[in-house]
Amino acid sequence: MSRLTRPVILLAAAVLAAGACGSAATQSPTSPVTSASGAPATATAAATAAATAAGPATPEASIDTTPVTLTVWDYYGKDTTPFTPDAIAAFQKEYPWITVDRQDLDWDTFIQKFNTAVASGQSPDVATLDMTWIPTLASNDVLADIKTLSGGAMNGKPIADQYAAGPLEAMTYGDKYVTAMSDFDAYVLYYRADLLEKAGIAVPKTWDDLRAAAKAIAKDANGDGKLDKYRYAVRPNTFHFSQFLFQNGGSLLTPDNTKAAFNGPEGVSALEFNQSLVADGSGLYWSDASGDLPPALADERVAMFSDGPYYMGLLKSGVPDQAGKWRVAIAPYSKQPGSYLGGTGLSIPASSAHQAAAWKFVEYFLRPEQQTLVYTVAGAMPATTAALQGPDLTKPDPYFGGQIPSVEFLETLKTSTHFPYVSAWSDIDTAIGENLDAALVGKVTAQKALDDAAAAADAALAK
Amino acid sequence: MRRSLPARVGIYAVLLAAAVAMVLPFWWALTTSFKLPGDIFSGSPIPDPFTLANYQDVFRRLPFPTYFLNSVIVSGLVVGLNVIFGTAAAYAFAKLRFPGRDLIFFLFLLTLMVPFQVNLIPLYRIMVELHKIVPAIGVDTYFGIVAPGAVQVFGIFLMRQFLRSIPDEVLESARIDGASEWRILRSIVFPLAGPGIATLAIFTFIAAWNDFLWPLVVTNSDAMRTLPVGLALLARRNTVVWGQTMAGTVVAVAPMVIVFLLLQRRFIEGLTAGAVKDVG
Amino acid sequence: MARTIAKRFRAGVPGYVLVAPAVLVTVVFLVIPMIQTGYWSLTVYNGVKPPQFVGLQNYIDLLTDPRFLRIIQNTVFFVVMGMAIGPVLGLASAVLLNQSVRLRALFRTTFFLPTMVSLVAVATVWKMLYQDQGMINQVLATFGLSGTDWLNDPTTALPAVVVTSIWQGFGFETVVFLAALQSIPREFYDAARVDGAGAWAQFRHVTLPGLRYTIVFVYVVGIIGSFQVFDQVFVMTQGRPGISTRTMVYELVEQFQNLRLGTASAIAYILLIILAVMSYIQIRLGEGD
Repeated sequence: MSRLTRPVILLAAAVLAAGACGSAATQSPTSPVTSASGAPATATAAATAAATAAGPATPEASIDTTPVTLTVWDYYGKDTTPFTPDAIAAFQKEYPWITVDRQDLDWDTFIQKFNTAVASGQSPDVATLDMTWIPTLASNDVLADIKTLSGGAMNGKPIADQYAAGPLEAMTYGDKYVTAMSDFDAYVLYYRADLLEKAGIAVPKTWDDLRAAAKAIAKDANGDGKLDKYRYAVRPNTFHFSQFLFQNGGSLLTPDNTKAAFNGPEGVSALEFNQSLVADGSGLYWSDASGDLPPALADERVAMFSDGPYYMGLLKSGVPDQAGKWRVAIAPYSKQPGSYLGGTGLSIPASSAHQAAAWKFVEYFLRPEQQTLVYTVAGAMPATTAALQGPDLTKPDPYFGGQIPSVEFLETLKTSTHFPYVSAWSDIDTAIGENLDAALVGKVTAQKALDDAAAAADAALAK
Repeated sequence: MRRSLPARVGIYAVLLAAAVAMVLPFWWALTTSFKLPGDIFSGSPIPDPFTLANYQDVFRRLPFPTYFLNSVIVSGLVVGLNVIFGTAAAYAFAKLRFPGRDLIFFLFLLTLMVPFQVNLIPLYRIMVELHKIVPAIGVDTYFGIVAPGAVQVFGIFLMRQFLRSIPDEVLESARIDGASEWRILRSIVFPLAGPGIATLAIFTFIAAWNDFLWPLVVTNSDAMRTLPVGLALLARRNTVVWGQTMAGTVVAVAPMVIVFLLLQRRFIEGLTAGAVKDVG
Repeated sequence: MARTIAKRFRAGVPGYVLVAPAVLVTVVFLVIPMIQTGYWSLTVYNGVKPPQFVGLQNYIDLLTDPRFLRIIQNTVFFVVMGMAIGPVLGLASAVLLNQSVRLRALFRTTFFLPTMVSLVAVATVWKMLYQDQGMINQVLATFGLSGTDWLNDPTTALPAVVVTSIWQGFGFETVVFLAALQSIPREFYDAARVDGAGAWAQFRHVTLPGLRYTIVFVYVVGIIGSFQVFDQVFVMTQGRPGISTRTMVYELVEQFQNLRLGTASAIAYILLIILAVMSYIQIRLGEGD
């Protein structure tokens, strides 16, 4: 045998053996492929389709207890997921025929893996989905209808009673519930209370208050004539722009969702307000390319900004030495309080073969005890009203000087609006973001920037 | 050849300046990996306090040995397969004549020109089907991770260019002596192509070790994940956890630095430039 | 006639055998997916419902869209800048590192270090370095120069991404050229020196011709790779400010994420056609035979 031939044969054998070993190790009942392959899947899918097609009758009447393994894709993070091992064990105890295979994924690449899986008929049974992905997925019929799966009830009570109006609307697409919100993202004002107090200024409640407060506390620390410390972070993305738009009484699209409306007078003056902050130096233009805020908070370039609940965690880990100095407040508004509404929804892909069992899982983890874990373990704000009013969420937070942040967040939730659920939403979001860049640094007027974005949005909507 | 002092100083100065430019960003990453979260944005060049917590977190929070082992196995397999079958194919393209040779080579090149992201779904579907037919291969197996990269056009192209510079006379005389192409390949070509093979091995190893998107998509279980996919889980939603991410980066780079030092010393330095060795 | 053809096929058997494994892997795992993708480029397809055939509409929509043309322009800028500088730096450092200097192994390792790290990690670190208060501006300040907000300024954002890419990538060219330099027979240099050629003449008449095939490789592969730039843009700028750093593959991935597989595939094939033409020309010119 020639000198090279033997190694080659060994190598080839190793490849095959390794392939076999690798999969042998994963030949556990938790292999997701078994739940979606071949004939058994179609039978179960047909049964599920029949059950759901029967309309909102009581699904409890015919509980199917054939053993099932649920694949759950979770981006909360292994140590910070509300789907803790104990909670899952308790769920499996209550539903002994259901085994849960929870898989960690990272948020940045979640949607690529999810889309690939769905397009290949290999979707998970439950997935944590960012609410900004819902427009695309819902309009492409990727998500199952929770209304029919649940019969309209969750844990014994109507779903509609367990969420505030904002989240409930965010879960709705047409006449379906395409997701069940588990945590929400809405923007409040984070501010350095110690600096405002030193300057003798009250918490800003209106845009004018905000402008005045920003101007008053901003400083020129290095003496070059430009304000460089204690500024307000102005961010050029749709999340922040829409907050000011809604507060001004404007909306993103016309009521029939066919044309852009954000370039109307409300939108223009909202953008002009932000431009004015940047222009007079009290606002710091902070793009997404600049990364997270903590570096600017650590060296105190920024002393006020708007953002969502997860920033509480970022503050505590990024600037622990500023504990006690920060507070949150309802974001200052011009005509009415307003914010964008995002967050996480637990969804069941329409191609899942175990939708009934999947709903049981989702329902279980939306109980107040499990929703509280969203706060205590994941550091996010639970979306169900009961959890928001529970004892763990109404404890004073020492980092925020004894304040109870969930009060402000719950209040904000009531006036938050989700992005329109049209299939062109991503294009509209991109168009707005791209045009905000030039406007905020003063290169184009607000009207022109928004008109350009509106033209692109209209074109996308027309397709 | 003794160079003049100014020339020598000049060379060292340029090398040093360039080396500093190469290393400076790593200095930032390295120091960050030893910093506590509150210290990371303080702007100080030295960690204060110095902490191993980030590394402990990386090893504790992730099933690190599993990820590491998977990366080693996958990368080793990919390198081995590419060195053997890629060089063989490259030799054929470089030195042998057969109908359709250039056409096949150009078709190979075409596959480099399509971004991998578009092949993701069709390729995943193929793996799903393969897994149904033979459970030992396909989705969530070493085969699934390795197969698409088992013989890479990039490597074939690289080796083809190297091998083209082997003088035809050497091969002709071996053929006249009655050697088969196979014997020529292993007795003449492989030894002569030492630097090229080392280069191929290094690049293929790096690409396989750092490969992220395909292993992310084709693996579902923690038991099969490779290091980059595992390290990505250190990230939080919308945000980077700097200390741990930098620790993870340092840990991921270390094996490659070692592999590189080993290979470059043995092959790139070891062979005398261009000397045609006695073989047989 | 038929016998000659048959004879050529028979003589080519060793060639076919040696390329067979490569052909198998390439066809099954690359060519078949590419054909699938090519079909999708002629459809509107969201991955879930059956594809709808629309012929060349996707291509027409893309190539008549000023935004997409700007995206192509950004990509071309990236490629031209990168390929004008990268290989030159690579060759220069390879020549330098081929000298007998002390600590050669250490220098080679530092030059190659950036290439060993994943592009995502490199981009993540450089994003921090480019910040207004980041290390780059601090270093510039010590030389009395004032930096700018590199990634937020539409005129500097794309060049900044290019610099990061060159920093990360030219180590690849260094190593390739280094290995190729080692393969140039020393006798050629000895002969040239005997003929009275100085260092520069030796470089022009021995080194460069000896590197001919390697240079073709570096440029073909480099251009193919640069055209597909994605990771750095994804991490550092997300195509912003405005669309000044948006590249073709970035747009492709976004279309993919919006479940517009037809459009994404069409972008891929436009890229393929551009690269196929360019590579063909390069190989023809560079190799000539």
